[in-house]
Amino acid sequence: MEKLIEVTNLAYTYRAGAGNAVTALSGINMEVYRGEFLAITGQNGSGKSTLARHFNGLLTPDRGEVFVEGIPITDKKRIADIRKAVGMVFQNPDNQLVSSIVEEDVAFGPENLGLAPEVIRNRVDWALKTLNIESLRLESPNNLSEGQKQLVAIAGVLAMKPECIVLDEPTAHLDPRSRREVLENVTRLNRNEGITIILLTHFMNEVVFCDRMIIMDMGKIIITGTPQDVFNKEADIVRLGLDFPVAARIASGLRAKGLILPESIIDAEELVNQLCLLK
Amino acid sequence: MELTKNITLGVYLPGETVIHRLDPRTKIVIASLLIFLLLMIKSYPAYGMILLFLTAVIFISGIPIRYALCGLKPMLPVLILMWFFQLFLYSSPDAHVIFSWWIFTATDAGMHMGNLISLRVFFLFGATTILTLTTSMVGLTDGMESLLNPLRKIGLPTQELVMTMVIALRFVLILAEELDKIVKAQMARGVAFDRGNFIQKTKKLFPVFLPLFINAFKRAEELIVAMESRSYTGGKGRTKMKTLHMGRVDLIAGLIMLIFSAIVILIIFTIQPQI
Repeated sequence: MEKLIEVTNLAYTYRAGAGNAVTALSGINMEVYRGEFLAITGQNGSGKSTLARHFNGLLTPDRGEVFVEGIPITDKKRIADIRKAVGMVFQNPDNQLVSSIVEEDVAFGPENLGLAPEVIRNRVDWALKTLNIESLRLESPNNLSEGQKQLVAIAGVLAMKPECIVLDEPTAHLDPRSRREVLENVTRLNRNEGITIILLTHFMNEVVFCDRMIIMDMGKIIITGTPQDVFNKEADIVRLGLDFPVAARIASGLRAKGLILPESIIDAEELVNQLCLLK
Repeated sequence: MELTKNITLGVYLPGETVIHRLDPRTKIVIASLLIFLLLMIKSYPAYGMILLFLTAVIFISGIPIRYALCGLKPMLPVLILMWFFQLFLYSSPDAHVIFSWWIFTATDAGMHMGNLISLRVFFLFGATTILTLTTSMVGLTDGMESLLNPLRKIGLPTQELVMTMVIALRFVLILAEELDKIVKAQMARGVAFDRGNFIQKTKKLFPVFLPLFINAFKRAEELIVAMESRSYTGGKGRTKMKTLHMGRVDLIAGLIMLIFSAIVILIIFTIQPQI
């Protein structure tokens, strides 16, 4: 598989040189493959956000190197290409929406790329349609639910037609139903549109959608593998202070026994609903 | 939301009338012209013309008159106070005294001055309220950006200024809600904002505004990162999804305004000013 992002020997320190320097990352080696769904998990302060901010050049490494589509992120002249390839969605949707009208906000990214008005219009329509939020087109973000705001934020990144979308704890502020809606949309973007997804989360039950996962702790990568592999190392996950996705595990166990259950089950409520639907 | 209840200035009433469909630039230019005329007017007949014009616009745009006027309510005490100030303080040598008591002397010149100034403020408010009631904020900012564009050549960062306005508009409500939340949280912990003298009351506001400011800066920082990762690098090289188009209605509106301005200017120069 083709590598989209490659990280070699990355280290990063906050307040480097000052007395209270904090080492956020050290000795990170990893890669992201084109078209995959990668989850990066870890407790708060494990360094996952810091790592993600290297993927589109918001931070530059103290040591080591990061390449996006073969371009080093330290190449200031090509930073626009890197930002176009790797879009980012943050935790609090309120603090990333710019305009008071949904479609204007979605247009913000493409406008920054200097595209022609008709092209921008097409992309905005497409992004809103892909996420099923066309009906919100003329709403003000202030009137939307947190989940809807987050979908608008994702649409804003999607309209820039990125290769890859990094989502930094996109569901932390959401209620369970909105969480599922956002995750389903993200999964669909990965499956149908072929967009590489990097999901940062500390909810272990969200990683069931992903192809591959990385667990970080204290600024280092501890475990890498498919969710199935990782979940088998139960003791490790517990030691790292992460929750265990009980509903997802029960569902996958039942699937293995031959019950027909959707893969999207991540919480108890959904599991119960789906079990009740079975004959 | 208590903070935004009685304010009509800046509120937009969506509609499909001719006035709503006018290009925002046309509306901004017409409103500016009206304001300019208002600052020159010194006679009642000319104010009569403005009243006629604004009433016609309100009628065509379908704004409920009562709604347009209710925004004036908080300004009423100021207007009345201003009228009395002019009545007693303004005088001219050939003025007739209406009545006199102790140190207060009211003249007819003072009364006219009071009338004219109150009317001016009233109509200034009316013109800007009609503009914002019939034009969306996005329309207004787009119009401003386009009208200010020539100033870019002399180095004024017009696009950046307009972007700042767009963001400010988006965050006004968020910060108002946050203020409300902080006040309620403090009240829940026993702060009585309505008790004590002026200094005591003011002191109680510090623990409200401090967290508000800190949060505002945090939000600003997050917003910058989000904007940067969406490739924002300032106004240069940016395009717009919606481009403004002037049409036949704009031409007609412009012509009407031109004729109207000519008539008002004629009145200004021919009719003896009141003072």
